[in-house]
Amino acid sequence: MLNIVVCLKQVPMVSELPWDPATGTLRRELAEGMMNPACRAALEAALRIREAQGGEITAITMGPKMAEEVLREAIALGADRGVLLNDRKMAGADTSVTSFTLARAIEKTCPEFDLVLCGFATSDSETAQVGPQLAEELDIPGVGYVDQIAVSGRTVRMQRLSDNFLETLEMDLPGLITVMTGAYIPRHVPMGGLQAAFDIADIVTLDAASLDLDPERIGVKGSATKILSVTSPLAGKKNVVLTGTPKRIVEQLFERFDDKIGGAIGKDLKADKKKRS
Amino acid sequence: MVRKAVRMFAETELGPIARDIDRDARFPWEVVEKMRPLHFFGLQAPKAFGGAEMDSISYAITIEEISRVSAAVGLCLTVHNSVGIYPIERFGTEEQKRRFLPSMTRGERIGAFCLTEANAGSDAGGVETIAVRDGNDYIINGTKIFVTNGGICGTSLIFAITDPQNPQRSAGVFIVDKDTPGFAVGEIEDLCGMRANPVSSLFLEDCRVPETNLLCRPGDGLKIGLVTLDTGRLGIAAQALGLAQAAFEDAVRYSKERQQFRKPISSFQTIQNYLADMATEISAARLLLYRACAVKDSGGLFSAEAAMAKLFCSATATRVTNLAVQIHGGYGYSKEYDVERYFRDAKVTEIYEGTSEVQRMVIARDVLAQRT
Repeated sequence: MLNIVVCLKQVPMVSELPWDPATGTLRRELAEGMMNPACRAALEAALRIREAQGGEITAITMGPKMAEEVLREAIALGADRGVLLNDRKMAGADTSVTSFTLARAIEKTCPEFDLVLCGFATSDSETAQVGPQLAEELDIPGVGYVDQIAVSGRTVRMQRLSDNFLETLEMDLPGLITVMTGAYIPRHVPMGGLQAAFDIADIVTLDAASLDLDPERIGVKGSATKILSVTSPLAGKKNVVLTGTPKRIVEQLFERFDDKIGGAIGKDLKADKKKRS
Repeated sequence: MVRKAVRMFAETELGPIARDIDRDARFPWEVVEKMRPLHFFGLQAPKAFGGAEMDSISYAITIEEISRVSAAVGLCLTVHNSVGIYPIERFGTEEQKRRFLPSMTRGERIGAFCLTEANAGSDAGGVETIAVRDGNDYIINGTKIFVTNGGICGTSLIFAITDPQNPQRSAGVFIVDKDTPGFAVGEIEDLCGMRANPVSSLFLEDCRVPETNLLCRPGDGLKIGLVTLDTGRLGIAAQALGLAQAAFEDAVRYSKERQQFRKPISSFQTIQNYLADMATEISAARLLLYRACAVKDSGGLFSAEAAMAKLFCSATATRVTNLAVQIHGGYGYSKEYDVERYFRDAKVTEIYEGTSEVQRMVIARDVLAQRT
């Protein structure tokens, strides 16, 4: 019987989100929320571990009331319960404070946890920091970017791809793992679970006070980092037309763009050329 | 959230093949396989029989979202759920429910509802298929036409009269398994739209079924038919709405991309007016449908509401898909784009499960009977 905690984040569905061409920012107010894809993979991993080992899955998220939706979805997919951390005081948290808040909530709601699973990163901020920091906050070992998980007794064996190496790692429980997108192809939501997730399931909602959190330590107030602005770099395109005989075109190509071609094929063409001459 | 979950399923599993299954008139069993464990074949059926026990609005959203991607698959689901499973669930005995529902909600046996005949359709009283009692059995003879899911059905509900002297008062609904001797599926119809759904004739020749396969009593057929069709209409309305939504989204996208006179065509007021009308009609249709669903779930009479929803949603689908083709211009008439498929699919929503004329009949009857 494993006690598994899965951390989830609701992110904007970027594909449906209009850009403001004037400022280059996402118009988040128009965003439809969805479960972050890597979190979905982490939840899938949790469900498969539970299928093999038995256990209980707690889904936890921090966010506005609307974020409750990802918890309902998690329950529809098979999670046993959902915990929503919702408080205006928690808003605007950077990754460090987010990890701090999640850690306190996990200690409070799941003190007996064995395994914490997170997505490796979120599609809306891509920092990949919350998972590792959460392991620190909980004072447990953590492994990031994992593709495969096998639990046996009190140890968990993991595989991950790093560059071209396949690493196999082992960790004692309790521990934390961040899961890659695509590592665990998420299942579809069953219609029966969906109705039940709304009809039956209660979501536990916790605010800062119920977690005894110092308002100065959380949210935007507690955050050491601030995001000043987010803009899309407007990548300029320059069309270059090379002319001449094919041989001449190829020569020009390598003369003018050797750094880019070299970068793409992983060779230092300038050094090669020097060596040859 | 129901919408998101179903949309994700539909777009990943049906999206890539929707155009091909229409072109090839192929029913996508491989997707059915994936739908089975997700309860798509028992959307509103009780949990005890393997269903998802969805409320009617969630059900409508589910059909809408599947139909937004493939109306032919949406059709299969709505017929199976609304007029295949529902009558058994509503009118069947415990024994009948236990016998028939689990395999249907698992999607092992797809349901069909067989009323229409060569000389009967809008006029349900014209049914000529006859069931003659023989000991504890009935022997059924007749031909049903334009049966949705005909080519894939496992369990069919057959409308038949039991007394030719008194057809109106003797109609019954018989549950007939496809393996029953004398039961045969005819050629798949070559239809204008909904081509991935194998619509066919069904032939019943000395088809012997036990009397325990009769829903209610002889003579209850019309009542069962009317109640069932009320529910079925919500599903068809949802299907039509999904089609309209799909065509509308394509039209908006295309109008922003397509340049004429060095501007996107969406910058022209003519196109904007089209889009505004489409958006308004779709919203109105959606609200009308959800209201009918809410009335049903609250336990009220919803015949007129269902008929209004079906009438309006199907008309909206026809108009919106027509405009979507218009906005696409020549490309809209080409099989390179999906809007021509939506256009072909939409028309039949004004015809089946009660033509628009029949819906008006139902609404008018209600208006004249009890409303001011």
